[in-house]
Amino acid sequence: MQFDVFTWLGGLWDWVIGVLLWLWGFLMWPFLWEGPFDFFAWFGGLWDWVLGIFLWLWGIVNWLIFWVVDFVNWIWFLVSLPENFMFLFRAIVFPGLIFILLALIFTVWYTRKIWARLQDRRGPMHMGKYGGLQLFADAIKLMSKEIIIPDKAKRWMYRILPSLLLVIVMLPFAFIPWDPYWNILGSPTSPFPDLSVSLVLVFAILTAVPVFSLLIGWVSGSKYSLIGGFRAANNQFAAEIPMVISSVGPAMLAGSLSLYSIVMAQTNIWYIVLLPINFITFFVAAIASVGTFPFDAPVADSEIIFGWRTELSGIYFTVVYFAEFAEQMLYSALMVTLFLGGFNGLPFLAGIVNFAIKWLVVFFLFIVVTSSFYRLRQDQVVHLCWKYLLPLSILNVVLVMFALVYIPGLVPLVIGG
Amino acid sequence: MSPDILDESSVIWFGPQHVSAHGWAAKLTIVGDYIVECDPNAGYFHRSAEKCLEFRNFRQGSMILERICMMEAFLAEYPYIAAVEKIVDLEVPERAKIMRTIMMEFNRIHSLQFWWGQFAGELGLFVMLLWPWVDREYSLDAFEELTGSRHTVSYATPGGVKYDFTPKFLAKMETALKLVKDRMPVFNDMLAGSPTFRLRTEGVGHYTAKQALKWGLSGPNIKACGIPMDLRKDDPDPNLAYDLIDWEVPVINNEEHPGESDAFDRLLQRFKEIETSLDIIEKLLPILPEGPIIDPKARSKTNRLPEGEGYGRVEGTRGVTSVWLKTMAKAQTPWRAKIRGPCFASYYSLKHIVPGARFADFPAIFGSLDPYPGWWDR
Amino acid sequence: MGFVGNLGDIFRILKHTFRQVFRRPFTYFYPFEDREYPETTRGRHIHIRETCTACAACVRACPVAAIRIDKEDKKFEKDCALYFDYTRCLFCGDCVRACRYEALFHTPIVDLSEGDRDDLIYGPDKITTLDRDPLEWRGRRFR
Ligand code: SF4
Ligand code: SF4
Repeated sequence: MQFDVFTWLGGLWDWVIGVLLWLWGFLMWPFLWEGPFDFFAWFGGLWDWVLGIFLWLWGIVNWLIFWVVDFVNWIWFLVSLPENFMFLFRAIVFPGLIFILLALIFTVWYTRKIWARLQDRRGPMHMGKYGGLQLFADAIKLMSKEIIIPDKAKRWMYRILPSLLLVIVMLPFAFIPWDPYWNILGSPTSPFPDLSVSLVLVFAILTAVPVFSLLIGWVSGSKYSLIGGFRAANNQFAAEIPMVISSVGPAMLAGSLSLYSIVMAQTNIWYIVLLPINFITFFVAAIASVGTFPFDAPVADSEIIFGWRTELSGIYFTVVYFAEFAEQMLYSALMVTLFLGGFNGLPFLAGIVNFAIKWLVVFFLFIVVTSSFYRLRQDQVVHLCWKYLLPLSILNVVLVMFALVYIPGLVPLVIGG
Repeated sequence: MSPDILDESSVIWFGPQHVSAHGWAAKLTIVGDYIVECDPNAGYFHRSAEKCLEFRNFRQGSMILERICMMEAFLAEYPYIAAVEKIVDLEVPERAKIMRTIMMEFNRIHSLQFWWGQFAGELGLFVMLLWPWVDREYSLDAFEELTGSRHTVSYATPGGVKYDFTPKFLAKMETALKLVKDRMPVFNDMLAGSPTFRLRTEGVGHYTAKQALKWGLSGPNIKACGIPMDLRKDDPDPNLAYDLIDWEVPVINNEEHPGESDAFDRLLQRFKEIETSLDIIEKLLPILPEGPIIDPKARSKTNRLPEGEGYGRVEGTRGVTSVWLKTMAKAQTPWRAKIRGPCFASYYSLKHIVPGARFADFPAIFGSLDPYPGWWDR
Repeated sequence: MGFVGNLGDIFRILKHTFRQVFRRPFTYFYPFEDREYPETTRGRHIHIRETCTACAACVRACPVAAIRIDKEDKKFEKDCALYFDYTRCLFCGDCVRACRYEALFHTPIVDLSEGDRDDLIYGPDKITTLDRDPLEWRGRRFR
């Protein structure tokens, strides 16, 4: 039985009439009473009346229950359709939320281990094997901390913004083609077989990130946070354009703005072979856009304590901390998708395994590069991005254009088979 | 500056609870991204060391001084001992002189290694924060082998030194120094050779030799301007062995701006300081004679001092470190002690160096002057 | 320094950091393994009452008055009880140098920690022996 709005609407008037009649009767019964008032007769009828009310209430409840059951039925019916079920499974379990969260936890551990190695330390060691459970311990510690909201902070914004930031950073993962089959959007069997603008959508969503940094800096009511927020905006202002333009190269070679098609086009040759400089510009711009080490002016701890995160505490800090790692993960995944051939690779491995291996390598590079340079000043970040990265990436676009037109064997090579 | 610029200024306290401000606070007035006024504040680290000295006898005082600056503990305790020795006219055995000098230079190396890490950390490279500190562990191990303590060595005593060199110590010192020498090219690449480091430090925190003399800067901060002002050469302590050997005052001359220095020059200067210290140790070790390490009469002589004044000074890692003592007749404790730390001058010179710099440059300027709050609060 | 020179510098830096990843870390698992302490290490003291003569030279030498002497408390002929206040002690080693009767020494035990400040005052029962509770963690015993 499916819920039908029009049937329901048609019955509504009868119900209204019934209620009105009942009310009318209720109002009129003293006048319609004949003869002398017989208390006992009245008293005898009282039970019927109470029973009636109970029945009426029961009717409403009954109807409500049936309605809810119907509604659940209806949703269950939708979910159990094969394509819907697979979509939900993908969105929530496999390349979706739970997978991303597990990957995030792994990433934090991985990053900390490599940082530790770089700094001659061992990193987390005690919780679990090789400190694998350290993150859970840290998360419990951070969550159980007292949340101190500064007096001058805008309380509700302060509470909502960090989680919104995490949501925004997690959203673009939906567009990453992890595998030929196991994809949220863009797999051949899903309801959205090939989202033709996923590259643009990823950047569109990511543009919101510095807005959140700026807002968090603004609403925390501290000067350090405010300066940090502006520096975050400045970083994004510097890095966004070179990054987007660097991603134009692969898109042009593949002739598509869909990440899935870009990966499919790299079956013959990975674009890093054709566009090494483009890869480097994207890499540097991605680091600048995340705001980790050489470009960590927004959270420079020797200048502005912790930038826009200074006033965050407890769970809010945890969420923002995760968001930063999620962003690094996202950019590494984007680099794998755009330049390293995504799930293409060793044929005897599953696509996702190929992807994960490349992703780990890129992430490793990410960490090594981020931890070998000194923090740049904000104006130097803009200088670097606009004086070196932007011309290089634009030059690349031009070169790709000419190459596509004038080099004869190129198009069949890069379109993929 | 005209007052209307200051209308849009905002005040930021850099410290005392700041991550990179350990025990000091500077009030910065900021217009846009530029600092227009810097007001360094002292007093967060005050431990009344001078008063403490008045209650310690002459063999105990140096233990207090060590705690002022842990990084250059031996260099910090030595001026007190020099002052006492000047009042009593103690003659120190030749072996003790050379041992003191070696330890002093060794301590300087370890302090500069610490500074490398600290400066890199302030500029945001945590890898370089840890690498020199790992190497520094070997120096600390050598100190521990000799004296039993890693930082606060309490090595010298009026009339000589407390512990004799052992073969084990010499071996450990050799490992430590060899490591310093071997890792020098790596750190040169990571610090002076790094393009990002040059971006951050070149032209930042600029002052001329004339200004530096006026503000009373000393040590590497003034040698970086090209002035070979070094107490080890200018006024060698009679109880140290600097005049026994031939060595050069480390001084750099930047051709681009002679007589001036910026943060990058000060880094190069400190590299040179380490090279000089290694050189001095290398030259002193072969001429280490056999003999006693302490004047046997020193103990009875320092029980009660005659009336007099003593001024001991030494070229510390951060500049001229000195202690002035005034004693009354038959005194068991000094009547008055005055400590002159090298960093008071460099800290308050921030007031003149910083205005006009960007806010993000403040840690670079501050770090390159290498001040330690213990020295200005005492 | 031209553009190419900068690139060379950048690659040299990356080489250093990349090498570091595969190097053995310097740190050790502190509570479970401990480094070798040299004999000279100035850790907590040990007082040998058999040879002590109650001369109080150590008390006078101490720059921070961390030692309290109790001459009444005699176990042998002419010894005394010493109370070391490790909330004050600087581990400067002067008391050990002042003792001419080989009755006071440093030990290489440096990790003194107690839950209570008063427990850091080591009376004659603690200062004359080296016994201490072994460190236990997750059912394992260390040191
Ligand atoms: S080591 Fe120094 S501070 Fe400690 S008790 Fe002995 S003399 Fe006093
Ligand atoms: S420990 Fe040594 S210095 Fe102290 S009272 Fe005993 S004999 Fe004298």
